[in-house]
Amino acid sequence: MKMGMRVYWLILALVLVSPLFGVVGAGIVGYHEPLDLVAGMIGLGGGNQVWRGLLPDYTFPGVPDVVGYALSGLIGVAVLLIPSILRGRRK
Amino acid sequence: MHIPDGFLSPLVALSLYVVSLTVVAYSGRRYFREGGDVHYLSVMAAGIFAAQMLNWPIPGGTSAHLVGGALAGILLGPFGGCLAMFMSLLVQCVLMGDGGITALGANAFNMAIVDVFAGYAIYRGVMRLTGRRFLAGFLAGWLAVAVAAVTCGVELGLSPQFGYPLGITVPVMGAWHLALGLVEGLATGLIVDHVRWAG
Repeated sequence: MKMGMRVYWLILALVLVSPLFGVVGAGIVGYHEPLDLVAGMIGLGGGNQVWRGLLPDYTFPGVPDVVGYALSGLIGVAVLLIPSILRGRRK
Repeated sequence: MHIPDGFLSPLVALSLYVVSLTVVAYSGRRYFREGGDVHYLSVMAAGIFAAQMLNWPIPGGTSAHLVGGALAGILLGPFGGCLAMFMSLLVQCVLMGDGGITALGANAFNMAIVDVFAGYAIYRGVMRLTGRRFLAGFLAGWLAVAVAAVTCGVELGLSPQFGYPLGITVPVMGAWHLALGLVEGLATGLIVDHVRWAG
């Protein structure tokens, strides 16, 4: 079984278009994650968050949200591909 | 479906941490013992992570995104699918704070275990009955995400700090994801019908 490069390009494309959904669309239409909305309704806000993450809410320090969203996505994808890269090098 | 911190009771959160880490560790052992490939695992985890970044709007000011548990289970098998989903959830939680760190066990239980194993079982069952990949993938993606949402509803309903009883959380989460799951089913069916690189 051989996995073509197409799947990597597809993942890259998904990350690059993701700010249209996660930042631009959310800003225009004003939508949020369902459980975040419930948190607001029942008073369980961000104050209960124990760990905010190294790149909180897919943002990246010092860059606009659209760029930060894609950048944090690329970092997440890169981290998840580390095992594959390490395995490839060992072969 | 990512549960944030503060929604679950400590007992529910801790119990699901123990169960999920046990199942994920067992799945990892089984996947590699049965010849599972690191490349497929990594790529699936990265693909699920990327797909979950695409939030689409739902009327009423809320959003939804693909979960992908059934898809991962079908393409990698249930053990590989479980591990790939957990890897993706772990990165989302630790790097982006997406899903509470105290709720990681519950989120893993819902999306990396229930969604994956239920999706795989539904897919195999429908394939045995009909032999039609799209239909099997569609039903697996659709129904498994609804089952996972019901599980999430049970966890929230059993947690007093969430404020809503089981009688509300279970039907709301189940009905909501039964509707949203149609998109998940469609995506799963289409992908399973076209991708042939794993079993």
